[in-house]
Amino acid sequence: MIAVSSSSKEKTMKLSKQTINDVLVIVIENKEANLSKSEQFKELIFQDIEDGAQQLVISFQHVEYLDSSFLGALVAILKKLLPLKGKLVLTQLNKDILNLFALTRLDKIFNIESTLETSLQKF
Amino acid sequence: MNKTVLLVDDDLFQLKLYEKLLTNHGYHCRIALSVDEAEVILREYDIPDLIISDYEMPDRNGFEFRKKLLKNDLLKNVPFLFLTSVNDEHFIQQGLDLKAIDYMAKDVPPTRILSKINNLMLAVREHYERSLSEVKGIAERLNLRNIPKKAPSLKNFSINYYNKSYQEQPGGDFIDFIKIDDRHTFVILGDVMGKKWGAWFFSFSFLSYVRSAIRLCVFDGNYELPTILHKLNRVVYADEFLSDIFSTLSIVLIDDENCSICYAGAGDLPLLKYEKNRNDLISYQSDGILLGFSEEAVYNEIPLDLQEEEELFLITDGIIDFEIDGVKKSDMKLLSRKLHELKERNEMTENIVNNLFNKHTSQIDDCSIIIIKRKNNEAK
Repeated sequence: MIAVSSSSKEKTMKLSKQTINDVLVIVIENKEANLSKSEQFKELIFQDIEDGAQQLVISFQHVEYLDSSFLGALVAILKKLLPLKGKLVLTQLNKDILNLFALTRLDKIFNIESTLETSLQKF
Repeated sequence: MNKTVLLVDDDLFQLKLYEKLLTNHGYHCRIALSVDEAEVILREYDIPDLIISDYEMPDRNGFEFRKKLLKNDLLKNVPFLFLTSVNDEHFIQQGLDLKAIDYMAKDVPPTRILSKINNLMLAVREHYERSLSEVKGIAERLNLRNIPKKAPSLKNFSINYYNKSYQEQPGGDFIDFIKIDDRHTFVILGDVMGKKWGAWFFSFSFLSYVRSAIRLCVFDGNYELPTILHKLNRVVYADEFLSDIFSTLSIVLIDDENCSICYAGAGDLPLLKYEKNRNDLISYQSDGILLGFSEEAVYNEIPLDLQEEEELFLITDGIIDFEIDGVKKSDMKLLSRKLHELKERNEMTENIVNNLFNKHTSQIDDCSIIIIKRKNNEAK
């Protein structure tokens, strides 16, 4: 297991990252995943993908609220990964956020798992 | 909405004094005892409306703080005031050279400090409103409108619609009515993912595609909503300009002759129907996914039976986002409950809208609702 932890110093988006068995596990540290962070988040993950990460888990364990801008960023990340034969699993979404995914049928296009353990089993 | 001020000073007593003064006059304050603490606050919370910083502080002083902010695209335009006991020409000039809007001496009476801050916030607001009004004026002259001026008038149905922008800026919600002939009218409600100007800009691309897809299908005599959505989705998917921009869409076709209604959707929130006899609010969910995500998305069409006096509600997600006691959440059930209560009380459409767009509920996105009502035969 290689563990790499990074936290962006100058940006409002706070992520911690860890590589477990070639899967990049990204934990969003912010409570609110919203417009002010969505573009930055998308760019940071796009950069990871360009650097070769194609197996991703994104954890929402600290996220209490997620808005449509951030949903858009997640869809963009998934759309970028698909032609590369990459995989994205979302995990630890709270009940409200899960509901939002179901209401907008995003649960049909995303792999969603309740725990980090089950997420890693998807690879 | 309260303006947020970040106060930075190594003197806790001074900080608390200013915090009390500003909080008592409607500002929301965050306080930092050092530049390091201020930087943590700026990372963790939303960008403040104003930063007031002391000059003389241990470790890093106010000038160093200001220089660093100027290098940050997100923070360089936040109005900045220096607060200091140093009061010489050299200092003032250096502060102003760093694009600080002004400086304030600590020995100035609190009322004058407050007036200065109020005036500054007013000036910033006025400047913003002037710019906004100029852009709105240009958009108006170019006939760029993502919310129409009025709904078409139909024999058997009435259409009401409402859109409320977020923080008085245009947003990504778009509405359109396309009346093909006396029989067929399409009702469109979309929401480009994102907020404010970015989403507003892209909404016009989606609107143009929606209009074209409908017109092209209708020219071929095709009124099937899944076909329209399928073509629309393919063209959006193929547009590189929109490759990572996505939109939801609800589309309703009203047949004013046969009094029939069909609905299809792409990643949209469920359409709600109020059934008068059952006194119930029924939710209809389309199974289409967001426009532009996948080339071969499949869309279904749901026929709806709307009896006299019954209503359909099309909504965008802004209307289910609530901020209560500082906690934000998306709650479709809460909206359905509120709507059902209002219908049970037999509230008029206008009252329903006023209630849903309640000024006491903090809005966190632009909100839209379209209400389609089957008219009462006797009332016609």
